[in-house]
Amino acid sequence: MTPKIQTCRQDQLAAFLDGRLTPREEDDLQSHLDDCASCRRRLDELAAAEDSWTSARSFLKDDAYDRTVLSGYHDSSDHSDEQSVIPPQIAQVLNLLQPTDDPAMLGRLGGYEVSGVVGSGGMGIVLKAFDRPLDRIVAIKVMAPHLATSGAARQRFSREARAAAAVLHPNVIAIYGVSTDASLPYLVMPYVGGASLQKRLDSQGPLPVADILRISIQLAAGLAAAHEQGLVHRDIKPANILLDHGVDRLVITDFGLARAVDDASMTRTGVIAGTPQYMSPEQARGDAVDARSDLFSLGSVLYTMCTGRVPFRADSPYGVLRLITDTKPRAIREINPEIPEWLCRIVQRLHVKMPADRYQSAQEVTALLTQCLAHVTQPTLHPLPNSVASLPKRLSARLQILSSVTIVTAAVIIFAAMNRPGSKPDQISPAPLAAAAQSAVASTAAPPDETVEQDERTIDESRNVSPFDPSKLDAWDDQLDPVLKEVEQKLQEVLPTD
Amino acid sequence: MTNSPETRDSLLLQIRDPDNRVAWDRFTQIYRPIVYRLARRRGLQEADAYDLWRSVLLSVSRSIQDWQRNPDSRFYHWLRRVAGNAILNALTRGPRDPAVGGSDFLNAVHEVAQHDEDAERDIEREYQRQIYRRAAEVVRQSIQEDTWRAFERKVVDGESTESVATDMGKSIGNVHAARSRVMRRLQVVVAELLETER
Repeated sequence: MTPKIQTCRQDQLAAFLDGRLTPREEDDLQSHLDDCASCRRRLDELAAAEDSWTSARSFLKDDAYDRTVLSGYHDSSDHSDEQSVIPPQIAQVLNLLQPTDDPAMLGRLGGYEVSGVVGSGGMGIVLKAFDRPLDRIVAIKVMAPHLATSGAARQRFSREARAAAAVLHPNVIAIYGVSTDASLPYLVMPYVGGASLQKRLDSQGPLPVADILRISIQLAAGLAAAHEQGLVHRDIKPANILLDHGVDRLVITDFGLARAVDDASMTRTGVIAGTPQYMSPEQARGDAVDARSDLFSLGSVLYTMCTGRVPFRADSPYGVLRLITDTKPRAIREINPEIPEWLCRIVQRLHVKMPADRYQSAQEVTALLTQCLAHVTQPTLHPLPNSVASLPKRLSARLQILSSVTIVTAAVIIFAAMNRPGSKPDQISPAPLAAAAQSAVASTAAPPDETVEQDERTIDESRNVSPFDPSKLDAWDDQLDPVLKEVEQKLQEVLPTD
Repeated sequence: MTNSPETRDSLLLQIRDPDNRVAWDRFTQIYRPIVYRLARRRGLQEADAYDLWRSVLLSVSRSIQDWQRNPDSRFYHWLRRVAGNAILNALTRGPRDPAVGGSDFLNAVHEVAQHDEDAERDIEREYQRQIYRRAAEVVRQSIQEDTWRAFERKVVDGESTESVATDMGKSIGNVHAARSRVMRRLQVVVAELLETER
C-alpha cells in the first residue's frame, strides 16, 4: 500500500526526470501521477519541448520504409523451415477474415468462403475461395494490409482493377469483381488450376519450337487486347502466365497491378526474387513506359522459353537492371542450337533497347508469330513470312541513322543545359546527360499517349509505400566494395597514418 | 553479408587519428539511410537510390585531395558538406521523367532554384530523422525493454496511456512517468549526437 501524495510537488518532477529521487519517492510520485493530470502535463513540459515530442513521434515512427520488411525479415531468419510457418503477411490477412459456419473453410471474405491460400507476393496474397451463389471456385487476390493503409495505393488498386476488368479476352484473366471499400481491398478472378509457365520451365527447361510459338501467340494476343484498352501490363514474366490445360490455353494474370508491386516486391525480398529480370530498359531506368515495354518483356519470356534461362542474369537486382539497359543477352543459338535463326531474329527485334525500333504493336507480333507457327506445322504449305526469312539490311542501316540523329539532338540539349544560368559545365554529371539523351529520344519517337503519361505521374505518389530494408543497404556495400575501397585508400593517403 | 565492419576497417585501422576513423564509419552509417530515404521519397527506384549513394561516395573520393590541401575544417564536417552537395546536385539535376519536348526540359531548368530549397529542406529533415533514430537505439539499449515499449506505444504509436497501462499491467502514473523519462533521455542523447556532429 503506497500512501498517495495529495499535494503537488513540482520540484520533484525535475528531480525525477534526472533520476535524483529515491525509489520510495519515485513510487510515491508515480501514484500521485495516477490522479493528477496537471502534474502529468507539467512533467511532459519539463521532459521536452512540445516540438520535440512531435519530432520524436514523426521521426521514430516506423514509416512504410521499415514496417513490412522488418517483420518479413525476422520471419525468414528465425525459421529455417519456411513451409511449416505461415508468413506474417498471410497470417495477417487470414486474421482479418470473417468467421464462417463451414468447418472446412478458413473464413469468409465478402460473400466468398475461403478454403485455402494459393500464394503470396509483394502486392498481397491470393486465396482460393468458393462462390456459393454461383457455385464456382474463384481466386481472390487480397491487397497486402500494409499497402491497404495507403490511400494512393488503394486508389491505384481500384483504378487498375477496373481497367483490367474491361479487357475481355480468352488469354487475359477475367475479373469477376472488385472490392475496394472494405479494410481489405480484393479482386475476384477465376481459379485457374494449371501450373504457371515458370513452373513448366523449371521442370522442363527449353520448350519445343511449336510450343514456344503457341504460347507466345496467345501471350501477344492477350497483350494486344489489353493494349487496345490502354492498359500496359508492366510485369510480363513466366510466373504471371498460367497454362490452363497444357499449352492449349493460357491466361495472363496480374494485369496492370504490376506497378504497385514493383517497389514493394523488389525491396521486400531483398535479392532477386522480385524479378526485375523481365523488365524493359525503360522500366529499368524508371522512365515512363508504354505498350512497347511489354513487348520487350515478351522478348525476354521468349528467350527464356528458347534457352531455359533468363536473358539478363546477375547477382543482384541492380546488376540485372544494368544488364538490361546496357547489354545484349548471349545469342540464343549458342545455348540451344535447335532454335531456328528466324525465331532468334524475332526475339532480337523485341529486345531492341529503343522502343521505337521494336515491333510496334502486340497485334503485329501476334500476326507474325501465327504465320510462323503455320510454317512450322506445315512447312510446305506455308512459307516463312518475308520479314523474318532473312535479316532486312535496311533495318540495321536505319538504326544507325536514327541513333546518330539522337546523338546530335542529345548533344544540342546537353549544350543548352551546360549553358543554363548558375551551372558550370563541370557540374554536369553523366546522369543529366542520360536524361537529356532520353528526352532527345522521346522527341524523335512517336508521341506517347498523353493521357496515359499523365496518369503515370499521379500514380507515382504511391511509391511512398515501398518499405525500407536495412539488409538492402548492406547489399549496397557489397556491390560498392570497389568504390568504398577506393575511397578508403584515398583516405589513407590523406589522413595521417602510422 | 560478406562485408563485415571488421574487413572494412582493416584499411582504415592504420590511420593514426582514431577520430577520423570513427568519423568515416559514422558518416556511412548516417548518410547511407539518409540517401536511401531521400531517393525513395522522391519516387526514385531502388537502383536510382543506389546510384545516388554511389555518386556520393565518388564525390567524396574525388574531393579528398581538396581537403588535404586545405584542411580548414574537421574531417567529419568536411564529409558532411561534400555529401550534402553531392545529394543536392543529384536531386536537382533536372527532370527525371523523359520530357516530351524541348520546352518541358527548359521549364524544368527554370524550376531548379525552387527544387534546391526543397531538396535542402528534405536533406535536413532526413538528417534529423537519422539522428533521432540513432539516439533511440542508444536509449533503448540503456533501459528496460518494458520501459521502452511503454514509451514507444504511447508516444510513437499514439496509443492512450490507459490502454498501454492496462495492457502492460502498470499504473497510469507509472506509464506516464516512464515515457517522460525516456523522452528526456532521448533529448539528451540527440543533443549529444548533434554536438559531436558539429
